[in-house]
Amino acid sequence: MRFKDRSVIITGGGGKIGKAYALGFAKEGAKVALPDIASADHVVKAIRDMGGTAISMACDVSDEKSVKSMVDEVAKQFGGVDVLVNNAAYFMTVKKSPFWEMEVDEFDKAMAVNVRGSWLCAKAAFPHMKKQGKGKIINISSGTALNGGQNYIHYVTSKGALIAMTRAMAREVGDHNICVNTVCPGFVVTEGRQVDPAFNANRVANRALKRVQVENDLVGTVLFLASPESDFMTGQLLNVDGGAHFVG
Amino acid sequence: MRFENKSVIITGGGGKIAKAYAMAFAKEGAKVSLPDIASADHVVKAIQDMGGTAISMKCDVSDEQSVKAMVDETAKQFGTVDVLINNAAYFMSVWKGPFWEMKVEEFDKAMAVNVRGSWLCAKAAVPHMQKQQKGKVVNISSNVALTGNPNYIHYVTSKGAIIAMTRAMARELGDWNICVNTVTPGFVVTEGRQVDPEYEKIRAQQRSIKRSQVETDLVGAVLFLSSPESDFMTGQLLNVDGGFQFVG
Repeated sequence: MRFKDRSVIITGGGGKIGKAYALGFAKEGAKVALPDIASADHVVKAIRDMGGTAISMACDVSDEKSVKSMVDEVAKQFGGVDVLVNNAAYFMTVKKSPFWEMEVDEFDKAMAVNVRGSWLCAKAAFPHMKKQGKGKIINISSGTALNGGQNYIHYVTSKGALIAMTRAMAREVGDHNICVNTVCPGFVVTEGRQVDPAFNANRVANRALKRVQVENDLVGTVLFLASPESDFMTGQLLNVDGGAHFVG
Repeated sequence: MRFENKSVIITGGGGKIAKAYAMAFAKEGAKVSLPDIASADHVVKAIQDMGGTAISMKCDVSDEQSVKAMVDETAKQFGTVDVLINNAAYFMSVWKGPFWEMKVEEFDKAMAVNVRGSWLCAKAAVPHMQKQQKGKVVNISSNVALTGNPNYIHYVTSKGAIIAMTRAMARELGDWNICVNTVTPGFVVTEGRQVDPEYEKIRAQQRSIKRSQVETDLVGAVLFLSSPESDFMTGQLLNVDGGFQFVG
């Protein structure tokens, strides 16, 4: 029970990967808050069914007031904020096109949710962590920022921005023993996701571990970065993709 | 007890950082094998005193026969090899000076111990891991390979070689579910190590977390990479330096 009574926020907590993190934390004793622009009630139910503690609330991470009221509510109910997992992203419904055909509104939306949203959540959670003299922020980036995924320049760019933001945040909050790190997942075939089998086979062949990546593959790394085991790691990027890309 | 009855080899097991790894593995139930060119008997004693299982043996990691005998002995006593930590290095007693004044024998020694030694240990341990269709190799590099510290070109170069070797090994071993990763520690002030206090102050200031790095700061990352939590991470570099260098 590494996270007994810890207050953990997982943004975009209603998604399939958000759910995997949430169950991972809840099984280790954490109280889990699951803000989502859609509903995370099914995840809350799954956690309560196994005897855990979880709450959800509607939240638009790109909106400062919405984020502030979300974090205030979590702190009120759970007594603080120990861990923030910036998982919410504009991704599943992005409009794909070559960058020279992309509309400004579409580009701005990815930056607002993925970049501004992660900053706003950290901004709101920071005072609670500062008060305790410790905390963990995990920004979920993407392997597309390393390999330059095509035809969604806004998404790829936003995920690269998170890597840089992580480093600057790490330096700004180090004096408070708050660690900020990034996880770069590879292409995750969540349950029920439609993928082109030929494209997927090619993806698998490029990995050292030649199989499809699933949401549970990410849980161990996120929990590690949220735990005291990683207390002297900050500003770092952990790439979890079965050995497709090597960084540095 | 994440490592109950697991067979773990930590080369250079008599050193101060290795002792921190060894104690942590032993506390989590592992049987620990501590080859060293000097003696690791004091670490074995410390582990046995707390009720754990450990063995040590004399081993020169740069010598193929010596390595083979060490791995065979470990497999004989512990049944197999589950985890290999390539920690042994020619470091504490290296000659320091500009590269244009370095002698060939000095250069060759660093490459023989640090690079050939890590390869030989992996070469000898891997058949045991292949038999079980899983295993973990953790190669200890150094963040001097990232910063390019002057005046020990052989050591810096050898640690860079280990990063590249890790990636190739990861690709060669993926089909057996064997993960190979690198840890790059920052400058560790081990107990009793003499350091210039002024320079150490500067070093701490450059970090996000502004303090000296100690051996236990590395333990969490090494255990994580040896555990099932990191089963979809391979070929990667984990930089543990308090947020000094950022990679990628």
